[in-house]
Amino acid sequence: MIVGSQKPIEEIWNMVKDFKKVLVFGCNTCVAICHAGGEKEAETIAALIRMKASQEGKQMTVNHLGVMRHCEPEYFEPVIDEVKKYDLVLSTACGVGVNFLSDRTGTVPVYPGINTSFYGAVEAPGVFKELCAGCGDCIVHMTGGICPVARCAKTLMNGPCGGTNKGKCEISKDVDCAWYLIVERMTKLGTLDKLSAIIPPRNWSTARDGGPRRISMEHIREFEEKEAAKTETAGGKR
Amino acid sequence: MKSGSTLEKVLASGNPAVTAELGPPMSADPHEVVKKAQQLKGFCDAANITDCQTAVVRISSIAAAAIAFQQGLEPVMQMTCRDRNRIAMQADLLGAAALGLKNCLCLAGDHQKFSAAGRLKGHPGAKNVYDVDTCQLVGILKKMRDESKQDGGDPIEVAPKFFIGASWTPMADPIDFRPINLMKKVNAGADFIQTQGIYDMEGLRAHMAKIRNMGLHEKTAILAGIIVPKSAMMLKYMDSSVAGVSVPKALIDRMNKAKEAAGDDKKKAKELQEQEGIKITIELIHQALETPGVKGVHIQAIEWESAIEGIVKAAGLYPRPQV
Amino acid sequence: MAPEDTCTAEPYRAYGAELKETRPYSPCRAACPAHTDVEAYVGLIAQGKYTEAFEVITSVNPIASVCSMICHHPCEQSCRRCGVDEPLAVRHLKRFAIEKSKDYRRAKRKLVKKTKGKSVGIIGSGPSGLTAARDLADLGYSVTLYEKHPVLGGMLAAAIPPYRLPREVLKEDIDDVISKGVEVKTNFEIGRDAKLDDLAKKHDAVLVAIGLSQSRSLNIPGVDGPGVLLAIPYLEDVAFGRKPDLGKSVLVIGGGNVAMDVARSARRLGVEKVEMVCLENEQEIPAWKWEVDEAVEEAIKINYRWGPKAVVRENGKVVGLEVTKVLSVFDANKRFAPTFDTNTTTVLKAETIIITIGQMSNLAFLKDSPVKVDERGRVEWNPATQMSSAKNVFVAGEVVTGPGSAIAAVANGRRAALAMHLYIQGETIEGRLPAQEKEKIAQMPSEVVEKISKQPRMKIKHLAPEVRVKTMDHFEMGYSEAEALEEAGRCRGCGGGAVVDQKKCMACLTCMRVCPYGAPVVTSVSEIRPEYCQACGLCAPECPAQAISMVSYDVREIRNTLPTIIGKVDADRQEPVIAALMCTHHAKVIGVPNNVKAIPVHCTSRIDILDMLKAFESGADGVAIIRCGSGTCKYRDIEPRVNARVKRVQDLLGMLKIESNRLEILSATSDNGGNPYSAICADFSERVKKLGLRARK
Repeated sequence: MIVGSQKPIEEIWNMVKDFKKVLVFGCNTCVAICHAGGEKEAETIAALIRMKASQEGKQMTVNHLGVMRHCEPEYFEPVIDEVKKYDLVLSTACGVGVNFLSDRTGTVPVYPGINTSFYGAVEAPGVFKELCAGCGDCIVHMTGGICPVARCAKTLMNGPCGGTNKGKCEISKDVDCAWYLIVERMTKLGTLDKLSAIIPPRNWSTARDGGPRRISMEHIREFEEKEAAKTETAGGKR
Repeated sequence: MKSGSTLEKVLASGNPAVTAELGPPMSADPHEVVKKAQQLKGFCDAANITDCQTAVVRISSIAAAAIAFQQGLEPVMQMTCRDRNRIAMQADLLGAAALGLKNCLCLAGDHQKFSAAGRLKGHPGAKNVYDVDTCQLVGILKKMRDESKQDGGDPIEVAPKFFIGASWTPMADPIDFRPINLMKKVNAGADFIQTQGIYDMEGLRAHMAKIRNMGLHEKTAILAGIIVPKSAMMLKYMDSSVAGVSVPKALIDRMNKAKEAAGDDKKKAKELQEQEGIKITIELIHQALETPGVKGVHIQAIEWESAIEGIVKAAGLYPRPQV
Repeated sequence: MAPEDTCTAEPYRAYGAELKETRPYSPCRAACPAHTDVEAYVGLIAQGKYTEAFEVITSVNPIASVCSMICHHPCEQSCRRCGVDEPLAVRHLKRFAIEKSKDYRRAKRKLVKKTKGKSVGIIGSGPSGLTAARDLADLGYSVTLYEKHPVLGGMLAAAIPPYRLPREVLKEDIDDVISKGVEVKTNFEIGRDAKLDDLAKKHDAVLVAIGLSQSRSLNIPGVDGPGVLLAIPYLEDVAFGRKPDLGKSVLVIGGGNVAMDVARSARRLGVEKVEMVCLENEQEIPAWKWEVDEAVEEAIKINYRWGPKAVVRENGKVVGLEVTKVLSVFDANKRFAPTFDTNTTTVLKAETIIITIGQMSNLAFLKDSPVKVDERGRVEWNPATQMSSAKNVFVAGEVVTGPGSAIAAVANGRRAALAMHLYIQGETIEGRLPAQEKEKIAQMPSEVVEKISKQPRMKIKHLAPEVRVKTMDHFEMGYSEAEALEEAGRCRGCGGGAVVDQKKCMACLTCMRVCPYGAPVVTSVSEIRPEYCQACGLCAPECPAQAISMVSYDVREIRNTLPTIIGKVDADRQEPVIAALMCTHHAKVIGVPNNVKAIPVHCTSRIDILDMLKAFESGADGVAIIRCGSGTCKYRDIEPRVNARVKRVQDLLGMLKIESNRLEILSATSDNGGNPYSAICADFSERVKKLGLRARK
């Protein structure tokens, strides 16, 4: 899932202070799971903005709302008219949600209420860990299921650098060395010999480096378009 | 000859090779480089010019290498994977070759969070590149040199002829993988290897036995890294905090003893420790060169380039062979 | 009566009432024939909301005062605390709430507008008649109550001895009903003063709720003549203050609850030697155990397993009862079929014998009426419509259900009132009356029982037996406020626990991770199993999607009421405004300093970070989370989570440059008597005062 974390109230305040009617809009999927931007946190941020406004002597209406997802229009369309009544939407969805909603709110600006951090897993309640970088060309079958792109600080593809210290990365004692884990895992799997082969320079064009990405599933699109056309024709006849 | 560099020739001649290290300044003033080049010239076959070591901005490796070269010191330019993508790397390599540089050491580079281990501000917020890793960079150099092709496949009219080096930390975690690590670099095309600084010579001997079994010592020239100890404190720090470095207790004790002999005199303590450090260095050089499969030494006197002359002479490695 | 004194009656709905209807009932509520929402009102008592508790109680039961004294409380027998330690003292808590609401209920009495333009006649003013009268009056009908006795209340007034039911208590209930504008005709006996037909014509519908007002007698030698009394006439004498001559010793035949009333009132009439004789043994005796225990305390001897054979008279005067040894009372199918050892007999000496073996109705007035009576002398009726064989004549209560409890008669009266309403409105009745049996929450799994701390039931105090038998006065003491709050805090809140909004839940597992009792099961969405849920509320404030609410006193309710409780903050105040979110279970809601606004919460585990923020947003200078000492918390694993929430809020306050020590968790042990929370609130208030009063721009 996508993991995010809240922005400091000071930063949020500087974003919202010149607006009169603000909606803090929560997203109840990924960012709710990581306690950053679900409806609950949206209400928390709304309360903090109201308190700050009161301290600053500003008259502001700050409400909150939440929908299941900001990244699929069907989820927020039922409330979009309500959303458009505000001067500003502070979305606590991930960056995907902020962008997606922003394209659909007409003249109402959509600002980010949280920082979108990474794709991660719930390692323990309240602990979220980055495990994938979305590079678009997965190779973890060659690295014991452990991704060196996301989990090695240097994205090394052919083994550890010289900075591995007691199994930890040179950047921090709290960060595992991905290559240490890969070697450990592949030793256990009996596939360490696979690492002898040199992985050549990667084609990063599948990742963000190749420009904004879009996937269009033709088999699904065609079906959807045909269905839409049918409905239109049927509507026309009526 | 792949490159015709002095280092390559010395190694080809069967003599033990000596490389040293030159750290460029955090300044636009070339004199520091000139001064250090003069100190090292004649006492080593080539000197590594570090590439923003510990992720601190300094005169670039290529520029400093060019200055050293003008001074008659053969440089080993360093190139980290941290700061350049494959386009910048290849462009720099063409430029370096055009400037007459002949040796290149490929490195991953210290992470930008390192910032001189916190002693300087550095640039921990910088974006790193790591488009390619050390192994891949070695392969790119080899392809440029031997096939006259860029990595992408476009032809190179005049190929850059580099003697290709790579670093190796034999005794870091995961220790059983380190020989494979070396093998990959060698298979990718590393002509010479400079190891991380070694104090534990018994450990080196054990590792070299494995390397010899793999036949890697025949395919590449392994230069053992020797870091000149300056103080007991430095040795303790290296032992506890530097990845892949362990310092035998006997060496730390010797330095401590030297320090204690000076009593409360701090200046004298420094002198005595430096003297002992040089003694230790000479012993380490001998032990390293006695290790089968080791073809030379890479002596790093960090911010103490002036010490090299005395060390090389005392170790019996002077004069350097004329090849 | 001026029109402004009239009102249309809106039934009171407790928070979460609608939601509760869609879910299994708590066992206490399911066990109550009237389905009184016990969990709701006990919870309200725990929060000090006594009049709201009164509303919950009386919404389904107009004779709540009566029930608070005499109810056999099936709610307690089914309480899920039985499996842990002892059941909750529900009836006694009800009594407390009602007594606390005396002024409130009196002030509330108002005429109800007769909006329907239709009239109903109700024959009999016992529990079912009074209930039907109340419900129909509330619906806007003109209601006339016909009662053969000079006062209303049926058996409650005419047969239950005053030591069990003080008459002023009954009067409160009756006054509630008649104040709605119910016409009352007392000393009116059906059959004597009017025919049923006449009433059926006069009213749009008639309810026969005459109860069982005639005692059955025994057909044994010597039964006729002086010295042998029947229970009901005897109890009527007692009820109306007449003093029947009982001689020096009384023997009561029968082992039911009425027999207990007879025997125990005989003691109170000054008879030293009162004995009882019954067919059953100690386990089989039909009277409630507490009745038996209290009778024994009052020096009444019970002769078990003897059957009456003949009244022994000397010179016509009763001297005793010859009895035969009983071998068994029930047959293999548990049907009543006593067998006797005719060779073993004895004589139990007594000057007066009172026969208390059951009651029946006097149905003479039904002769020549369209209401049919079956061959066994019972009124024919359809339980699905509460209707007799005559079309606008309805029936309710013991006359058709047979002997039962007052609360069962209330429930039946409610059904009858609804049936009559539907009938008059020309609607179908069948299928519209509420089901008697309700789905209820299962017993607690043993792994949950193990996690519940034991807390003994707050004792109900009685006058000493030797004192109480000297008068007809009520002998049971009500709870003090502290006692009531303590006892109410024992409720596990069954049925008031967590419920998941499936539209919002995204199955994040948070609830499953925080629940100390293993109640949530998360598949595609979370489901919180009510039989596991202890209603602590720990999960709801943790839910990141706000998908969990609590059925009773939801977390959002705290938040919504906070600004009102804190009120307008005076800019020139001298004392800080403190919002004290208090655990109602141990931190007593009584007696905090004036500047401390107490907000009772079911448990501090229900306090959301948003509640704390809301308190500050509403202008509080300081916010105290007041919890019980960890040793006394009735829930598990609450403390670390509440601490973490407080820490989070302190961090958030820090971002707003508000001192973090304006928010504190306070705790005290309540063992040392009084209210220790008052003192800690005052201390906190002083600390906040030193930080200064918060200014607003």
